[in-house]
Amino acid sequence: MNVFGSGPGIERRVNVANNDVDVIVAPRGSSRPPGIISWFRSVAIAIRSLLTGMRVTAGYLFGRDKVVTQQYPENRETLEMNERFRGRLKLTHDDNGYMNCNGCKFCEIACPNQSIIIKDRRNPVNDKSELDQFIWRLDTCTFCNACIQVCPHDALEWGQDFEGAVYDRRLLVYTLNSYAGPQARLIERAIKKDEQPEELKATIEPRSRYGTGVPLAGDELPGVPALGGEDKEST
Amino acid sequence: MTAPIRTLDDRIRPSDTPDSPLDTQEYFINMGPQHPATHGVLRLMLKLDGETIREVIPVLGYIHRGIEKMGEAMTYRQFVHLTDRIDYLSALVNNWVVARGVEVATGTETNDRIEYIRTIFAEIERIQSHMLWWGVLGMDLGAFTPFLYGFRDRETLTDIFEETIGCRLTMNYIQPGGVMHDLHPNFVKRTKAALAYSKSKLHEYEELLSGNVILQERTRDVGILSAEDAVALGVTGPPLRASGVAYDLRKVEPYGVYDRVDFRTAVGSVGDCWDRYWVRVEEMRQSIHIVEQLIDNIPEGKTMLMKPAKKIVIPEGVYYNQMETARGILGMVLVSDGTSDKPYRIHLRSPNFNNLWALDAMSRGGRLGDLVANVSSLDLVVPDIDR
Repeated sequence: MNVFGSGPGIERRVNVANNDVDVIVAPRGSSRPPGIISWFRSVAIAIRSLLTGMRVTAGYLFGRDKVVTQQYPENRETLEMNERFRGRLKLTHDDNGYMNCNGCKFCEIACPNQSIIIKDRRNPVNDKSELDQFIWRLDTCTFCNACIQVCPHDALEWGQDFEGAVYDRRLLVYTLNSYAGPQARLIERAIKKDEQPEELKATIEPRSRYGTGVPLAGDELPGVPALGGEDKEST
Repeated sequence: MTAPIRTLDDRIRPSDTPDSPLDTQEYFINMGPQHPATHGVLRLMLKLDGETIREVIPVLGYIHRGIEKMGEAMTYRQFVHLTDRIDYLSALVNNWVVARGVEVATGTETNDRIEYIRTIFAEIERIQSHMLWWGVLGMDLGAFTPFLYGFRDRETLTDIFEETIGCRLTMNYIQPGGVMHDLHPNFVKRTKAALAYSKSKLHEYEELLSGNVILQERTRDVGILSAEDAVALGVTGPPLRASGVAYDLRKVEPYGVYDRVDFRTAVGSVGDCWDRYWVRVEEMRQSIHIVEQLIDNIPEGKTMLMKPAKKIVIPEGVYYNQMETARGILGMVLVSDGTSDKPYRIHLRSPNFNNLWALDAMSRGGRLGDLVANVSSLDLVVPDIDR
């Protein structure tokens, strides 16, 4: 048995690959000299080492009030995530509820695993390309932040919601936009310059989370019946 | 130098001359791929003579995801997020290897602020990785308390990541040309508090586990890996330094701002499990020391120098770039054809793959019970072995 005790290391300077490197060498202790007295001494050291460790754990059992456990489902009301926390992807909206996205597909190109699918359409009033459906697949998303990084309109952000457990994988495919139509900037400009703002607003069509023809979500699959109407979230 | 190539068939054939004077028979058992002490899906075929290990044959491929092949279909910027998932406890250093490889190949100069941020995060990640290892080693050797304590203290460091980056484990933060976000306003304050906390807890670790007689008896002179073997097998990181070779890329080929900080390389003298244990605990102290020197001097500057939506095309050629993760040297070979914005070929030299083969050298002739201590002291992350 070694006479142990970890203690500080021994500082030294060695030459490695033509560099002088300051090293610190692990302590080894010394081996026990023969004899019955040293054997008893080593037993005493061993018992003392166990008691030292016990003192640490006993300190937490009694005395020190250091609860680190968070009672998670119970503290839902007060739970606050960090502002940069990567929860569920969201489209940003302006104060009037119009989205900032214009369906430019930068995020779709930047996405490493095709978790974002953008369907666009052409607006009959101003003849501009605009967002029809922003499909986000949570089931394949790796939360790498690439889409938010490339977005030129700051139209995407992370939500704080992290509870994504559902019973059917198809429920993890979302339509993120609440309507199909022009982005907030274009509506604002139309109102400002009086370029048919009412006609532009009339082209807006509502979109729901699992509603209109999102692949895998809600649609019938071979051998799997359709999920039915809207808001079938089984959480 | 030549060495005979042995196939799996050769290795599982019983040897003709058993060492034991008794008429014993060699037999095989499988440890894993679902064994709790292999920390993942690693399968070890053990050739045993009684309880003595004659040979350890690792069998790989249970978590192979083809990350190198997937990289050929992705742009450089997209490939970064896959490297989080090879060695998930060194995600930021893995990101950095790709980022630095692309920066060197395209001739992009980064500024001091980016390099400071990268170095600080890499060191914080090294501390949290070693804390997790410390807890798991305690649990492998039969003590459950260190596991809880290690995870508890690691939380304070992952909170730093969550505040600035938004993620705790697979972060995708360091990118070609910079870092994804600037530092959070609370970063310096929170980091200082977390370092002070970690320092006090390291003292607790010493009391709880380092001096403990059971740990000492189970690690001293167990699983000895000689310096010659370690170098020949390509072992890097703490296992190599524990064998007495003070080879640390942060000292020998400094990257980031490691050449501006003062720290010591922890080395061992024998190469047993105790040296590997002590080297990692000391590395935690040295990493805290490194971050303390940098945290007050972060210069101002931009944090992203390349436009995120711009294509990165690397000139034709083969590029190699390596860094020291918490487990050893991670190298990346990048082959570019010079025309597309995707790599022609990517190969990763992962530290755990080479460290794994040292298991046979250090366990041979030892007891079956010591194998768990050996596996644990190597600190293997299995997804990094298979990639």
